[in-house]
Amino acid sequence: MTTTVSRREFLKLGGAFTAALAVGQMLPPMVAEAARQSGYLNAAGDGFVPSMCEMCVWRCGLIAKVKNGRVVKLDGNPEHPHSKGNLCPRGQSGLMNTYDPDRVLTPLIRVGKRGEGLFRKATWDEALDLVSKKMLDIKQKYGPEAMVFSSTHNISQPLFENLLYAFGSPNYGTQRSLCFNAMIVSNIMTYGMEEPERSYDKVKYIILTGRNLMEAISTSETHDLSFAIDRGVKVVYLDPRFTKTAAKATEWLPIKPGTDLAFHLALLHVIISENLYNQDFVNQYTVGFDKLASEVQKYPPEWASTITGIPADTITRIAREFAAAGKYALAHNGWRTSNFVNSFATERAIAALNAIVGNWGTTMFPSSGEESGALGAPPQPPFPRVSALRLDGVPWKYPFVPLKLGIFQELRDAIVKGDPYTPHGWFISRQNPILSLPDRNKTLEAFGKMDFIVTVDIFLNDTAWFSDVVLPEASYLERYDPLLPVGDKAFLRQPVIEPQGDAKSALWIYKNLGERLGLGDYFQYKDEEDYLKQQLAPLGVSLDEVKAKGYVQLPGEGNEGSAEYKWNTASTKIELYSDSLEKAGFAGCANWEEPPQPAPGQFYLLTGKVAQQTQFATQNNQLLHKYSDEPRLWMNAKVAAQQGLKDGDWVEVTSEVGKVHIRLLATEAIRPDCVYLVPGYGHLSKGLTTAFGVGASDSVLHVSYTDPVSGSQALTQTFVSVSKIADAPQEKTRKPLYLGE
Amino acid sequence: MAKYGFLIDASRCIDCRACLVACSAENNVPMTHTRIWIKETGVTGEFPDLKRYTAPYHCMHCVDPSCVSACTVGALQMNKDGIITYDKDRCIGCRYCMYACPFEVPHFEWDKQLALINKCDLCVNRLEEGQAEPACAATCPTDAIQFGKRDDMLALAHERIKNEPNRYINHVFGEHENGGTSTFYISPVPFEELGFPTTKLTESPAEFNRMTTEKGTPIIAGSVLTGMTGIYLALEHLEKKNPVHHIEELEHSESTHEKE
Repeated sequence: MTTTVSRREFLKLGGAFTAALAVGQMLPPMVAEAARQSGYLNAAGDGFVPSMCEMCVWRCGLIAKVKNGRVVKLDGNPEHPHSKGNLCPRGQSGLMNTYDPDRVLTPLIRVGKRGEGLFRKATWDEALDLVSKKMLDIKQKYGPEAMVFSSTHNISQPLFENLLYAFGSPNYGTQRSLCFNAMIVSNIMTYGMEEPERSYDKVKYIILTGRNLMEAISTSETHDLSFAIDRGVKVVYLDPRFTKTAAKATEWLPIKPGTDLAFHLALLHVIISENLYNQDFVNQYTVGFDKLASEVQKYPPEWASTITGIPADTITRIAREFAAAGKYALAHNGWRTSNFVNSFATERAIAALNAIVGNWGTTMFPSSGEESGALGAPPQPPFPRVSALRLDGVPWKYPFVPLKLGIFQELRDAIVKGDPYTPHGWFISRQNPILSLPDRNKTLEAFGKMDFIVTVDIFLNDTAWFSDVVLPEASYLERYDPLLPVGDKAFLRQPVIEPQGDAKSALWIYKNLGERLGLGDYFQYKDEEDYLKQQLAPLGVSLDEVKAKGYVQLPGEGNEGSAEYKWNTASTKIELYSDSLEKAGFAGCANWEEPPQPAPGQFYLLTGKVAQQTQFATQNNQLLHKYSDEPRLWMNAKVAAQQGLKDGDWVEVTSEVGKVHIRLLATEAIRPDCVYLVPGYGHLSKGLTTAFGVGASDSVLHVSYTDPVSGSQALTQTFVSVSKIADAPQEKTRKPLYLGE
Repeated sequence: MAKYGFLIDASRCIDCRACLVACSAENNVPMTHTRIWIKETGVTGEFPDLKRYTAPYHCMHCVDPSCVSACTVGALQMNKDGIITYDKDRCIGCRYCMYACPFEVPHFEWDKQLALINKCDLCVNRLEEGQAEPACAATCPTDAIQFGKRDDMLALAHERIKNEPNRYINHVFGEHENGGTSTFYISPVPFEELGFPTTKLTESPAEFNRMTTEKGTPIIAGSVLTGMTGIYLALEHLEKKNPVHHIEELEHSESTHEKE
């Protein structure tokens, strides 16, 4: 029998599992049998279980403390190179993610209107039967390309990809175009690899271009940078905001948004025109230096000074200092740099800067990647041939964008336009496109065009809230994922506690859905442990051994301290100039592209991470909420005063695509021509009882702009006006008023 | 004599708050309480010449603790390792310790008749279980919080100041304050600027303790208790007239880290 439940009743139902979990009380369920079997626990059930964090994509090693058979604490695993024994605040809060009272613990089927939040509980059989029937109906009527699949980078992604490629759809959405497409495509074009590894062991001089490592924490890299600063390494930091990284940097340059490219072109100009580069390295290992030299001839520091707002002599001095540090210098490629459509050119300039001082093998190394030929995998047939075009235009409009990166905002736009064809279904896993994509109104419009939407997540994020079926995934402390190679080891994520309710691992969900879709051959494993055993088979190591240690040693891998002087580019060298870019009609070398500027009275809208939250996923975590600042709109204090605005005032922020209401933070810590809004707030889902009503979403304001080379979304290329709200009834509830609808 | 100690370096703290979250998780601290705070200078100076320093702040674990002297029921005690422990089953909620502590560490819930405190006990249970460090020091990604033998921490503090006299002011906070503590701070800026309590501190805890326990405490703490409870009840009365406002206050109270 099915019953309709209101949201309040639904939450009551959801709360049944967690009735004992009053706020602040943690009474986790008993420890997983798998962990018990690992031999790490004594008879009383006390001990420590190694696993892997999933509070962001850095994936630190963790050690879960188990007491009386219950998990009571997470600590960093000293043996894992990403944690080095530490966890950041998000990693420390991981228990609260698993024990969030808002967890969805049973499959849900929508009964109300989309976005109303009315669902009923279902069994896995019913939910998977419904999902597979809808997917097969869509395939039969419109072809497999009418199903869109999207998921954010995670360890079970290979099985997600099996699902979509075996189904036969080319339409794959990842979050990467909202993040680091420009950096990845630039590195591929320059170095033939996605992202060379950085080492801070010998570094003497660092330029960080908007890489706010003290707040956008990657635990080991934040640790390494901090220790480099401690031993006196010079850090030059470019950012329009005085962030916590700026506070630690030797020199903070509050550069004008969108002009990092001009700064780096001028550095290249000085280093090349003054012959300060490493000529041996350039001659032996790079191509296109002459073309680069003649291009950057146009960009003297005086020119860059008028564009960036940084004095010419400062630029000249930094160029000389950087070159003097030589191979011990490091220009960090950042993840998004300045977030303008010229970010790709900026990344190319940064890549060239590293190359001409010859830091390869000293501060930059080949990346080890996340794949290892040493691990086995279940057998599977080849994927069916796909003839349909990808909706996001890759590669037919965007030839340089790798298929596995894609262009998410273009995919969304194609759904809205129905061009080149109309998709009808959307399968989403661990992703929140309603909040992450720019221009939320447009994303909601795309959702409205879908016949069927299914979301896999651990709670009702905004996207699940607007879905037809929600499949509850086990949290990262409750499940296995495939082994993940890091350096010369492959690390294990294993269940420390049994999944709560009916939550299931991604490995289980994709397999059971795949079988219903007639794609069982792509999921040839009995269960999660069987999958891992097949991965371990070539190594001759038992799963029990790996469970106890948390990792397995890989034979003959790891490149620490070694650097191969051969690159996977067309020329096998570092390409300062790219023939293929030139032939495709783009600039072969980094060159100046003028960014757009706000009209008088408008501001650049900046975005950027805080240390206590990960993108759009963690705002409901009570432990993080406890220690997060109230999300407010930063505005320069003097500008605020000129506009008659006081700290704490409610303001309306308007862009060409939306409006939000939020409280103002008047601060000296930002350029006068910018405002900043912390991302990830302004949730629409009332199923997130901690996060709902807190802050405002910058995605409501963001205008979609796609870089034609890399497909990157230019997140900072949105200009807003700010005005005071005379009557601010919102203040009573601290809720931002969502005006986008 | 205290066996363990902390060295906290404000020049290394990045205000990530991993220590605050770790402490809450390790000690199951209620969502409305915290055992660690962030003390900060705020953003100082004028754009673009700006500075900002932060440091985590918790119980100093005094060598001669005023709170232990003030506690009439033995709820606060110093254990064999010099850790100031708190036994909530003995606490009668008198708030004497709150007045006695010159470091402003004990915090009470004013809305409860029997109010308890929640304070750092150096993760004493964790240490007894054989883990090497308290949760905060173990997780700090930048080693801004270091943990070890008290004497080693103090020596390290002086060594860092000696090696980098331009980086730190010449003051180890906690070495002499209140007669000496087991938590040592070094900082690029004076501790008043970081918001540390410095006015009530003397170098003689005995004098301070005598004052608080023999003369001041019963009278002053009694009046403070009555007064604060009265203020609380008055505020509560006001808030009840405006319940929506009350919701906002509650939400705000969850954030223990108020900015600027």
